[in-house]
Amino acid sequence: MNGFPQIDRRRLLAAGTAGLGLLALPQGLRAATPKRGGTLRVGVDQSVAKINPTIVRVNPEYLVAELLYSSLTRLGYDMSAEPDLASAWTNSPDLTEWTFTLRPNLTFHDGSACTAADVVATFEALLDPATGSPARPNIGPITRITARDATTVVFTLSAPYADLPVALANPNAKIIPAAIAKGGLDRLNREAVGTGPFKLVTFEPERIIVVARNPAYYDPARPVVDKVEVVVYPDMTAQGSALISSDIDLMYMVAPTEYARLQKASGVTALRVPSGQFCNINMACDQKPFNDVRVRQALALTLDRAALVDFVAEGFGTPGWDSPLNSAYRFNTALTPKKADIAKARKLLADAGHPKGLEATLIASDSPATRTQLGVAVREMAKAAGFTINVQTMPHSTYLDQVWKKGAFYVGFYNQQPTADGIFSLLYTSNAAWNETRWNNTAFDKLVGEARTTVDEARRRALYAEAQQLMYDEVPSIIPVFFDLLGAHRSYVEGYRLHPRGAVFRLDQVGFGDGAPRRG
Amino acid sequence: MSPAYALKRCGLIVYTLLVVSLIVFAITQVLPADAATMLLGENATAEALAAVRERLGLEAPVWLQYARWLGGVVQGDFGTSLRTGLPVAPLMMEALGRSLLLALLSILLMLAIAVPLGVIAAVRRGRAADLIVSVLSYVGVSLPEFVTATVFVLVLADWLQILPASGYVAPTQDPLRALQHLALPVLTVSVILVAHVSRMVRSELVDVLHSDYVRAARLKGMKPRTVLLRHGLRNALLPTITIVALDVGYLLGGVIVVEEIFAIPGIGRQLIVAIQARDLPAIQAGALIMAATYSVANFAADLAYAWLDKRIQYD
Repeated sequence: MNGFPQIDRRRLLAAGTAGLGLLALPQGLRAATPKRGGTLRVGVDQSVAKINPTIVRVNPEYLVAELLYSSLTRLGYDMSAEPDLASAWTNSPDLTEWTFTLRPNLTFHDGSACTAADVVATFEALLDPATGSPARPNIGPITRITARDATTVVFTLSAPYADLPVALANPNAKIIPAAIAKGGLDRLNREAVGTGPFKLVTFEPERIIVVARNPAYYDPARPVVDKVEVVVYPDMTAQGSALISSDIDLMYMVAPTEYARLQKASGVTALRVPSGQFCNINMACDQKPFNDVRVRQALALTLDRAALVDFVAEGFGTPGWDSPLNSAYRFNTALTPKKADIAKARKLLADAGHPKGLEATLIASDSPATRTQLGVAVREMAKAAGFTINVQTMPHSTYLDQVWKKGAFYVGFYNQQPTADGIFSLLYTSNAAWNETRWNNTAFDKLVGEARTTVDEARRRALYAEAQQLMYDEVPSIIPVFFDLLGAHRSYVEGYRLHPRGAVFRLDQVGFGDGAPRRG
Repeated sequence: MSPAYALKRCGLIVYTLLVVSLIVFAITQVLPADAATMLLGENATAEALAAVRERLGLEAPVWLQYARWLGGVVQGDFGTSLRTGLPVAPLMMEALGRSLLLALLSILLMLAIAVPLGVIAAVRRGRAADLIVSVLSYVGVSLPEFVTATVFVLVLADWLQILPASGYVAPTQDPLRALQHLALPVLTVSVILVAHVSRMVRSELVDVLHSDYVRAARLKGMKPRTVLLRHGLRNALLPTITIVALDVGYLLGGVIVVEEIFAIPGIGRQLIVAIQARDLPAIQAGALIMAATYSVANFAADLAYAWLDKRIQYD
């Protein structure tokens, strides 16, 4: 008897067997100062395809760029601007001219001096559309940059802009040598010529990036470790296992589903910080049916936001009340929580001319998966009030190409911006870079515009409070869930703190305490 | 085999690769979004898109883009990655090297497990040992790769902590650590492949053991062990070559899940990343390498057949 059918080689071929198928130092050195030296291994979830700082775009790339390069300013944990290469700055009373003073004797990794001329050339390259830098729309209304002397740079703006020092902390606005900025940016695709705390040793995009201490760094106290190895682990569970078995020391990002396992693991410290990252429902306010404010308000009233935090963010988040600001932003205002009220939602829908309910197709890209989760949850919650929502998922590339900024009803996902102005004028003002809601509310534009040109903190706070209330009332977009950022490190790692913005890492402050392994 | 036949086969391989490159090129043109969109992502303005397309040469007519690419390939230049700005060929060849290492070690381990299992099952046909071997090898082949891999990681890396969980170390950098890191992926892949060969060896051996020449050898009074190994197994192993050749193709690109979990930047992963970024030169190079591997492995299997069994002739 033959237990297995006789296999003919050719037939087998034809059948196609192959399936292609941080608790940080700035707040005073903490009890135990990390020891100097050692090699820190950091896990990242995606390949570091680019190290050219003008075009880096995803968090692992930002992480590496931050090791190799410096900016004029950097973003503090409280979202304020801190000195980096610039030691101080002043502004003209009308906020249209800003003067930055560089630290003395700065040098690039190749030993050449870093002066105001390099800063000017860097920003000119960033503002050139041919560079294709994501920074271009996000570094303020700059019209001219001039070097007054070797350590003084003057930015002239087309309009008053109070947030310029924060905007210049943009992760792409890293200072590069003028010679490279003026032609030859491609050189930075494989080598790094920065002023950062570390120098590039090896660069293998899909596997590992090794950097070593820059002895000429402007702050002799930093970096704390001698070497950092950034290791790519595309699978989050495998990365968690690598941390548990001490193959790596730090994960800047942990998936909510992995968090509990790492919390329980011995020798691992799990980290969590509230952030302004959110998932939202965008509605085209210039088209039926969402041009009627009552329809938007009705949909917003159907949601049980606490339940959404549990379902969409696995409990690692906070509810939102349709304003993009939360406690992670400097000018956040406490808004009254919105409770689900199906009867009121039904009435609003009927008043808007939909007594029998409403049918709509909600589009959700497949990346991140939380978009689809939010879509499905909204579909179920809105049913009771008469909304029939069909959730359609699609690959992210197709979504970017065909739906984003164009669609009438889709799920958005946005990272925290450094400033209130950053998020408002990115998404919600009439002239927003990505005006995806087409809300076009002049009262709102006026509030945001005035706050942008106001220096007085209290006055700005009042203006932003009004702007937030307006979004709360008119619901140009439903913002029901903010995500906490999650991370983890071995307990012997000291000096690391999660940044709410997500794109700031400060590994230059991280060092080892007791119990750290010795590595070459 | 006649030289004319060998030449014909080589010509066919080149022809296959050309067709593959055309198909890949056509498909990438139909996909929504291009490399510029993916590079700029949510920061794409019309102006920036145009500038980046210009820089990447995406504004040229499709046929001209293909002609430029083909012209480069003929001269051995596979182009520059649109995603990283680095030359494609060295990156892809490095990835191929890693995948080949994983494939080679996996196949060796798999053969070391599968051939004895197949022999035991054949000799003890119908008895408990046969049943156990069948069930085990089917479990190996039926479990999805991510389950097998995750179970190995949990048990051997998380609980027992005798092997590193994930990550790749180049053998040139540190041979011992390289082997430690390769242990889990090699184990995972071998477990998946065992059934292919153990079932084949079993059924072939059962047939051979019923053949006249084996009966003759037994009647001659040869030791059962010699009969089994020299006359039985040797003849039963021939079809295994086909399976191994196919597995090589499968291992280069087909074990993307294993590559992801164990963070081995192999050819499969490179290709997926390239597709997501619409990185045409990288997609082309990856697809060509995989198609070439299939063709060459297949050709090599045919050659090995003819060499081992003189009755087989190609002309």
